[in-house]
Amino acid sequence: MSDQFKSLSALKDLGTAIVQSIDNEEFPTLELPGRGTGNLVYDEESKQFVLGNARVIRDSSNLRHIKSFTQLVWVASYAKQLLQAGRTSSLRDLYYSSEAFGVEFTDQAESDRTVTDLECLTGIAREAFGVFPEERSSIYGQVTMRYTVPGYEGRDVDLTLSPDGLPIGPALVTADPVESKAELILAVESGGIFSRLIETRAWERFNAVLIHLGGQPPRATRQLMRRLHDDLNLPVYVFTDGDPWGMHIARVISTGSANAAHIQGLTTPDAEWIGVTADDISKYSLPSEPLNNADLKRLDELSKDVRYSDSIWQDHIRDFRQLQRKAEQQAFSRHGMDYVVDKYLPEKIH
Amino acid sequence: MNQGSSLHGEFSSISPAEFFYRNRQMAGFGNPSQAVYSTVRELVENSIDACEEARRQPDVRVSIDEERSGIVRIMVSDNGTGVPYGEVPNAFARVLYGDKFTARQRRGTFGLGVTMAVLYGQITTDSPVIVLTQTSHTTGRSYQLLIDIKNNQPVILSDESHEREGPGTEVTIRLKGDLNRSRNRVYDYLQLTTVASPHANMELVINGSSVMRMGRWHQMLPAPTLASKPHPHGADLELLRRLVADTGERSLHDFLVESFQRMGTRTATRFLKFLSINPRQVVNTLSRGDLSRLSSALRSYDGLGRPDGKCLSPIGKDAFLTSVESVFAPSALTYGSRGPTEWSGNAFIVEGVAAIGTGARAADVPTLYRFANRVPLLYDSGEDVLTRMLKKVNWVKYGVGSTTPVSIFLHLCSTRIPFKAAGKQSIASLPEIEHEALSLLRELGRNLKKTLKGDERSVRDAQKKREFDKAMKQVAQFSAELAECDAIPSTAELVHRLFEVGYHV
Repeated sequence: MSDQFKSLSALKDLGTAIVQSIDNEEFPTLELPGRGTGNLVYDEESKQFVLGNARVIRDSSNLRHIKSFTQLVWVASYAKQLLQAGRTSSLRDLYYSSEAFGVEFTDQAESDRTVTDLECLTGIAREAFGVFPEERSSIYGQVTMRYTVPGYEGRDVDLTLSPDGLPIGPALVTADPVESKAELILAVESGGIFSRLIETRAWERFNAVLIHLGGQPPRATRQLMRRLHDDLNLPVYVFTDGDPWGMHIARVISTGSANAAHIQGLTTPDAEWIGVTADDISKYSLPSEPLNNADLKRLDELSKDVRYSDSIWQDHIRDFRQLQRKAEQQAFSRHGMDYVVDKYLPEKIH
Repeated sequence: MNQGSSLHGEFSSISPAEFFYRNRQMAGFGNPSQAVYSTVRELVENSIDACEEARRQPDVRVSIDEERSGIVRIMVSDNGTGVPYGEVPNAFARVLYGDKFTARQRRGTFGLGVTMAVLYGQITTDSPVIVLTQTSHTTGRSYQLLIDIKNNQPVILSDESHEREGPGTEVTIRLKGDLNRSRNRVYDYLQLTTVASPHANMELVINGSSVMRMGRWHQMLPAPTLASKPHPHGADLELLRRLVADTGERSLHDFLVESFQRMGTRTATRFLKFLSINPRQVVNTLSRGDLSRLSSALRSYDGLGRPDGKCLSPIGKDAFLTSVESVFAPSALTYGSRGPTEWSGNAFIVEGVAAIGTGARAADVPTLYRFANRVPLLYDSGEDVLTRMLKKVNWVKYGVGSTTPVSIFLHLCSTRIPFKAAGKQSIASLPEIEHEALSLLRELGRNLKKTLKGDERSVRDAQKKREFDKAMKQVAQFSAELAECDAIPSTAELVHRLFEVGYHV
C-alpha cells in the first residue's frame, strides 16, 4: 500500500539523517514547524487552520532538548514497528510501551505531544502510523464498507450490522465505501439522540448515515466523515447541544482544530450546523439553563476566533449572549419522545 | 575562753586528700563507670605528656581487666621520660603535688588527677598503686604505694628494682568500676586522643584481647612548649606582690620589662607615662595602694600586642586535617584557626576542622567533638562554651541541613583552660573565648558552604553526563533501527566532547 510505503520511507529518512550526523561526529538536530498559537494561520483555500512558517530546532546537544529528542526518535521507531507488524496502538498503549524501552514520559500528555511532534516532523497523521486515541465514536447507516486491514482485506461490513452502531476504529477508517443508499450524514453529539435515531428508524426516513460524536470527535471520526462526504458525495449535518461547546464541535468539523492544524484531510468545510441554536431554544420553548461563567468566557474567546469571523457565526454568538441560556439536545423530549425526529429534524434538514 | 577551745576542736582542717575523696564527683569519680573512664584518662594524659617531654613518639597501651564482677584492674604503660625515683612517692601518692603550675600548655593541670585515681582505687579495693618506671639513665624500679589520707603523705609498701624494656612508666590501679558501661567511652576517648595527638599511637586491650590499635597519623612531634612570662592582663595583686618580692631593687620600668611578656622598653615607657608614675621608682618601695593601682592598670591596659604563642601547642593544620581524615574518612574537610589571644592574661588559640560525610547523623546543627589542650572532652557537652557557640550559628545559612552530615572538631588550647569543675569536662563561658570560637565556627561555615556547593555541582554534573550519555545511546539505537542499519553509531566521543569543554546549560 502506497500510504504505508510513504510512512515507512519518511521514518527511514528520519533515522538515516540522525545516523549520518552521529557518524560525522555532529550532534543531530531536527526541525519542526512551530506549534505555538502564534504560528496558527487560517488557510482560506483549505478553509482550515494550518501552521505558519515558524520553525523550531530540536538540538540533541542541548541538555534541555535531549529528553524530548530521545522521546521523539523512540516514538518514530515505535511507529515503524507498528507499521511493519501491521499493528495499531492506542495513545495510552504507546505511553505504557515506552517504559519497556527505557524511555520516560512524565505523563500521557507528554507522550501524546511527542506523537504530534512526529506528525509535524513527517507531515503524516498518526493514524497512518497506526496510532489511535482510546475513545471511539460510532457510526450507523446504509453503507457497506470493504476492509483493507491485514486479515480482513476484502471483507465487507454493513454499517447497520449492529443496532448499537459500529465503533469507528482504525479498520473502519482505512476501509473503502463500496455500496450506499445514504443521502446524507447526520452527526449528533450525544449518545442518547444517536440511539433514539436508530430505534425510531430515522436513518431510513432521512436516508442518513448516523454518527455519534461524543463531544469533540476523535480525528478518525472526522477523517471518516470527510471520506464519506468526498467519496459518496454526502452532505454533512451536525446536531449538537445548544451551547458554545456544541457550536464549536460543529465549527471544528468544518474548519479544523488548533491541535491538528498540521494535519490535512480532517475537515469537512461545508458541514452544516443545524442546532441547537439560541434561536431554537426560544422557538421550540426548550427547557434551558442559564449560561455560567465558563460558558460566557468561552463565548468571548470564540467571538475573537478567526473561525467565527463570518457574520453568521457572530450572530449565533450574539444570540447566545442575548438569551443568556443554553439547552441540551435531549431537551426536545419535553414535547414527547419522537418530537425531535418527527418535527425538529425535518424542519432542519432540507 | 573555754567555749573557744572546745569550738576549736570541731573546726579541724582536713587534708587535700580527704577533701577530694569526699568530693570525688567533682574530679570525675562519682560512679563506677565514670571512675574507669577518668582513671584511664588521667593516666593516658600523663603518659603522652611524659613522651612529649622526652621528644619521643608516644606509644601508649591501656589494658583493662575485670578481675571479678565490679573490680577492674587498669594498667597504662608508656615510653615516656620515666619518673625520677625520688619523685615517685610524691607524684603518685600525694594529692596536689606536681610541677604543672607554669604558664604553658599541658594536658594535666593540677597534679590532682592521677592521685585522685590512686585514692579512689585505694578506698574502693584497699589496693596500692603499682608504679614501674625507668628513666633513660637507670634500670627499672617498681613501687607499691598507698596514700595516708589524713596527712596527705605517701606510704611506701615496697620499693624494689625491676627490669623494664627501655624507659617509660607503667601504672596499675585496682578499683571498683563498671567495665561494661565505660567500655565505649574509653574506646571513644582513645580514638579521639589520636585525633588531638596525631603523633601518638594508642592501644586498648580488654580482658587480654586487643580491641584497638590506632594512631600515628602524622609523624611530626609537636614543637615543645616554652613557659612564658606572665601576661600583664593576668597581673592580679597576688602575682604582682610575688614578682616584686622576687625582683628586689629594680626600677619600675625594668621590673615591667623583665617580669612580663609583651612589655618591651617602649611599651613600658608608654604605659608608665599613661599612668603618670615615675619609671625610675624602685619597685619594692611601692606602697600597697600603688601596687593595687598598678595591678588594675596592667590588667586593663589595651595597648599590648598579641600574647606569646610559644607556650601553646595547637594541633596545626596539616596534623589536624590528617588525623580527622584518618579516623573518620570524610568526603571533604576544612581547617580554621583563631588566635593567639588571651583571657585574663592566659594565652589561647581555638582551631577547628569541619568535615562532611563522617558517618555522623545529618542534622540542622553539626555534630561537635570538643578538645581542650589536646584532650577529648566527652561529658557535660551541654554546658560547654563550645557547644553553646555551635548552637548560636545559623548553620542552614551555610548549607548544613538534613541531607549533609557535618562534624566539627574544635580544639581550645590555653595556658589555662577555664574548666567548670575539677572533672575537666566542660569549659566555662568567657567572653573572649566565646568571641573567638564563634568567629572560627563562622569561618568554618563559610568554607563548608563553598565545599558543599562544589560537591553539589560536581555530583549534579556527573549525573547530567550519565543521563545525557544514556539518552544519546538511545537516540543512536532508535535511529539505527529507523535507518535499518545494523551497526549502532557510537556517541561516546560526542558526549565526551560536550562535557569536556565545560558546557553549561
